[in-house]
Amino acid sequence: MKYFWFGWLLATSISSCSLPADKQANSTVRIRWNRDPESLSPLTLPNQNAVDAATLLHCSLLQVDLSTGTYAPALADSLPRMQLLGDSLTHLRYQLRHAAAWDNGRPVLATDVAFTLKLIFCPGLPNEKARTQLGFIRDIKLDPTNPRHFTLVCRGQAPEFGFESGEFPILAEDALDSKHSLRQFSLASVATANTAEPTLAALAARYQQADLEDHSGRLPGCGPYKLAAWKKNQYLTFERKTHWWADSLRPAPLVLQAKPTKLHFSIIKDDATATLALRRHELDVLPQASARDFKRLQALAATQQRFAFYTTTSYEVVTAGFNTRRPLLRDSLTRQALSRLFDPARLLQATQLGQGQRTVGLVHPNDHRYYASNLPLLAYDLPQAQVLLQRAGWQHRPTGWTRPAAKGQSEHLALALRYRAEDPVFQTIALQFKAAATQLNIPVELRPTESSLLTTALREGDFDMYVRIQKGNPFAFNYASMLHSRNVQEGNFSKFGTPATDRLIEAVATAETPAQKRQLLQRFQVMLQQQAPLVPLFFLPYRLVTDRRLQNVYPSAIKPGYSAPTMTWTDAAPVLAQQ
Amino acid sequence: MGWLLLVLSAGLLAPWLPLAFLPAVPDLQHVAEAPSWAASPAHWLGTDTQGRDVLTELVYGARQVVSSSLPAALLATLVGALAGGAAGFWGNKGLRLPWAVWLAGVAVGWWALALPGRWPCSLALAGGAGLAWWRRRSRTAKPTGWPLPLDAMFQSALTLLSAVPRLVLVLVFAAGPALGTPQLVVLLVLVAWPEAASQVRTQMLRVRELPFVEAARAAGLPTWRVWYRHALPHACRPLLATAPLSLAGLIGLESTLAFLGVGRPPDVPSWGNLLGTLQQEPGAWWLLASAGGALVLTLLALQQLAQQFGQRA
Repeated sequence: MKYFWFGWLLATSISSCSLPADKQANSTVRIRWNRDPESLSPLTLPNQNAVDAATLLHCSLLQVDLSTGTYAPALADSLPRMQLLGDSLTHLRYQLRHAAAWDNGRPVLATDVAFTLKLIFCPGLPNEKARTQLGFIRDIKLDPTNPRHFTLVCRGQAPEFGFESGEFPILAEDALDSKHSLRQFSLASVATANTAEPTLAALAARYQQADLEDHSGRLPGCGPYKLAAWKKNQYLTFERKTHWWADSLRPAPLVLQAKPTKLHFSIIKDDATATLALRRHELDVLPQASARDFKRLQALAATQQRFAFYTTTSYEVVTAGFNTRRPLLRDSLTRQALSRLFDPARLLQATQLGQGQRTVGLVHPNDHRYYASNLPLLAYDLPQAQVLLQRAGWQHRPTGWTRPAAKGQSEHLALALRYRAEDPVFQTIALQFKAAATQLNIPVELRPTESSLLTTALREGDFDMYVRIQKGNPFAFNYASMLHSRNVQEGNFSKFGTPATDRLIEAVATAETPAQKRQLLQRFQVMLQQQAPLVPLFFLPYRLVTDRRLQNVYPSAIKPGYSAPTMTWTDAAPVLAQQ
Repeated sequence: MGWLLLVLSAGLLAPWLPLAFLPAVPDLQHVAEAPSWAASPAHWLGTDTQGRDVLTELVYGARQVVSSSLPAALLATLVGALAGGAAGFWGNKGLRLPWAVWLAGVAVGWWALALPGRWPCSLALAGGAGLAWWRRRSRTAKPTGWPLPLDAMFQSALTLLSAVPRLVLVLVFAAGPALGTPQLVVLLVLVAWPEAASQVRTQMLRVRELPFVEAARAAGLPTWRVWYRHALPHACRPLLATAPLSLAGLIGLESTLAFLGVGRPPDVPSWGNLLGTLQQEPGAWWLLASAGGALVLTLLALQQLAQQFGQRA
């Protein structure tokens, strides 16, 4: 008998000490990514998945609250106070949260922010993209009386500076510069220094040696998660830190909530495989589902019971681009002619089942303040394309289109079109373009390319044309990264840029009043249609499918379209999905 | 046989057939649609997930069979027959190459591999080859030289190629930039020739001992003539039965590559490519029925043909 009681006691204590298996499993959320992040270095974030990963590992001053679609303070304890100085400067005063701390307990201070900014402007580091985005910040002034208080000095007086200035991951000064050697430099002097400056060169070398692209653990962040596992092109797993500084905040703002103990991102390139994984309970969240899979899942009674379906607009625009450095494509008339070979209306219908929106440019059509609705939408027009080609100097011969080139030679119009392989949307666009070009006797070679190789090929200019997605947001209109001549090595894959267009892009980014911005964006959209370095075809919708038991998903038009850290599981009866 | 003739004629005459749609041209208003006779022009066998007409893709897919798999199978059979026949007939010691050929070979190899002293050494070796050739012509004595270990070389190549699965080998070569038709044919030949070569070598080992070959040798015919005119035709007889199976294997391999989207441009019509689009639209039965049906029928017909040839041989 005593053995029975002993056994009962043991069983009872074990069951009371351990969580039910179901509960344990519930703390993990499994999400599909369609590509590898490639790099987790906070300075080099080559794609959206890398940005999302950085958001889990690091914290910014401000982060987007997907429940409201606005910026909210994260490391900062409030939105910055703006002060306009004269007619060309803005001061942004930030105060960091008292609770904000690194994993070793050291507080996050203004010196860390100053160090991060200097790193972003430091020569010799792969920071071109971040440098372009934050190029308006000229200096940072620390408050000697308050180590958590600082002021950013910005050139220009654009209202967007208020939130643009706060969206970059803050890095720990001690981790990369334990001797605080960068403190002797001002931000302006770092930005103008050359790569030979010994202190900066040493810092750049330390940064490169740390190989943060593959070893993010060498640079601990103050974000809620740490990287537990990363198998390239297969999966990434992030584990919730046991003690995170924001846990003590009451109430915790949405941008500082991190509920799942584990976030598992499965990299599944193929849409059909991802859908199958979702149906087989191997995934809980399927973002950016293809139009056909989404429709198919919605139509099935079994999946209707299990999954919630969300559709929102997005700021992702499918874009064709031209390599303007190629002699064939150096003139805008040729580019305009080739852009007439795309059929955006039918492509939108065929690939998105009519969801999404056609557009005249890079501004979202829903943004009625700035969208140039007076401009014509791009239309499929072969006769017009032919006329434009002739105006560009091309002559149609039985062998194709030729025109005189330098040194008495002639050039032949033939194109190579690159796009990301395994994406049926891009393939349909490429096939449609090639079919139209064939009608005009223009040879087109299709080159579907693996995503990481595609980035390299675009960066190196190894293409004539490409089709890819340009990502945007509703907050800022800074097109420098994709069209400014100083970014031809990084995001400006079309290699486009003239002094006049550069000035216009800079003016758009720093416009100070809505009226001024409207006028400049109108000019920008006209310029984009006339110069045609990029051809925006249509804006995509976001389609999200999640397990019905997942709550606090916050589907949104803002990338990535959902909020992974706020998701929680509920065992309650499924709620009706928001369509 | 009737089906094979249909595939062959469709492949050869595809550009002149009165098809309503062009290959690899998407009809964006009818994407992934089941066979329909209502629209004009009608998609008799439906469309795939890119809006391409399935009937057109099937017909031009047959052209792919005729232009890639068939030449590759013929070439692989030819190469295999010659290589296997030579290895089996001469073995490791039967074929003696004169010094001049050896020296010329080393000279070419030295130059091609850019070894140290590329030009002087290559030229010296070439000079030596010329001298050996001149001496050989001027002398009446029995020609000297080293035997070429043909059989050992053949077996090594066979071991090397059979050590890696055929599909893996093809994927390694095809994983880079898209291949043109000639490159694809060469690749298919590379992986397919050992099969025919092994059979011919085995047969040749038997044939070379037969009385009529001995008689031809005793009659003083040149060795190459004995090999080419008398031994090889007999050793190649089993190929009649296996060549259709080899073709079937290559059609399957080419379709697998297209299904995986490897090695061929996406705008080249292929049955495998058509089947591959099924991944995006699993409910598209017409894709499975048409492309899968064409593939299965062709493979079965080739197997039937092989059986008939086997009985005759």
